[in-house]
Amino acid sequence: MHDVTAAQRIASTVLQAAREQEAERVERVEIALGAMTMIDSEQLEFWLEQIFRGTVAEGAEVAIEQLPLRVRCTECGYEGSVEVPDDPIYHLMAFAPDCPECASDELAVLGGDACVVQSIRVPDAEADGDD
Amino acid sequence: MADTNAPGRGRDIVIDVDLSKRTSELADENLALLEEHGIRAIDVLGSVGSGKTTLIKELVRRLKNRYRIAVIAGDITTRIDAERIEVEGVEVLQIQTGGACHLDGEIVRRALDRLDLDALDLIIIENVGNLICPAAFPVGSHTRLLLLSVTEGPYMAIKHPIMVRQADVAVINKVDLADAMEVDVEKLSHDVRSVHPQIKVVSTVARAGEGIDDVIDALGLSDEGEPTDGDDNA
Repeated sequence: MHDVTAAQRIASTVLQAAREQEAERVERVEIALGAMTMIDSEQLEFWLEQIFRGTVAEGAEVAIEQLPLRVRCTECGYEGSVEVPDDPIYHLMAFAPDCPECASDELAVLGGDACVVQSIRVPDAEADGDD
Repeated sequence: MADTNAPGRGRDIVIDVDLSKRTSELADENLALLEEHGIRAIDVLGSVGSGKTTLIKELVRRLKNRYRIAVIAGDITTRIDAERIEVEGVEVLQIQTGGACHLDGEIVRRALDRLDLDALDLIIIENVGNLICPAAFPVGSHTRLLLLSVTEGPYMAIKHPIMVRQADVAVINKVDLADAMEVDVEKLSHDVRSVHPQIKVVSTVARAGEGIDDVIDALGLSDEGEPTDGDDNA
């Protein structure tokens, strides 16, 4: 049910923004999903589809960009991304990344732990040509 | 009217809302509210059947004369946990998450709003029995207590490193069953410390009240001394 919570929050953020824009429709939603959020993008997409039914965002294209986990190693100073295997078992049971340079597990997370609603696309306002 | 206004083309509205950040902001808001009222909060995490309710009941029994305590108990649908703790005579709010696998800052905030915070010193939050999702949803507590029981097998610490790293105190429960379960408690403690060197590790048999005093010590609480009047934080 974890992914449902994420989908509900994303949906309410999207629908609130749509209301503020007085948009009659949401055509596309862009989401950035960090590798460390433990949210499965396929499930997220599925739940968003369900939640958006009957709203202005029904049928909106959901574009999910996967962001890599970025770390700084407090041992050797390595700064960069760490590969997170695309395996749910790894996420759930054994998520303990090591530094790719020195294998230390003393890593400070710099990025890839966030779930960001980046933007929505709404139809152009009528007779508004300045965009 | 405008040339760019072709069918299918729309305006992109930048939102840039970080939902994970909002999650931790909600927790921080709860913590600030608790501190405003001089309340200490402990988030108790553990798998289904690890002994969370039993441990909390034992803690409440020993601490209720010293601190004014309330318990927030999260469960999917039942009130069983609340009823078990209520016999100790403290206020218990049962939160039925209706399917959600974790408590979050928003749910706990709604519970805090229902409590008389001026009349409390200590709030114990029993999270939903799950060691995966609660790791991603801080609720706003001073201390996270992780409960592992030997009946869950020998690999709990290395299987849930995120949770272990976030916890301040690890309690290994049901150690009287270690032989039957063929679990080496020393090895399990070692695993916990290897994942999180700063963590305090305590062994208990919560059902029999064994080791509870060590848990109280590890939490930095005390069951001795004068009852607090709630003004000690002023």
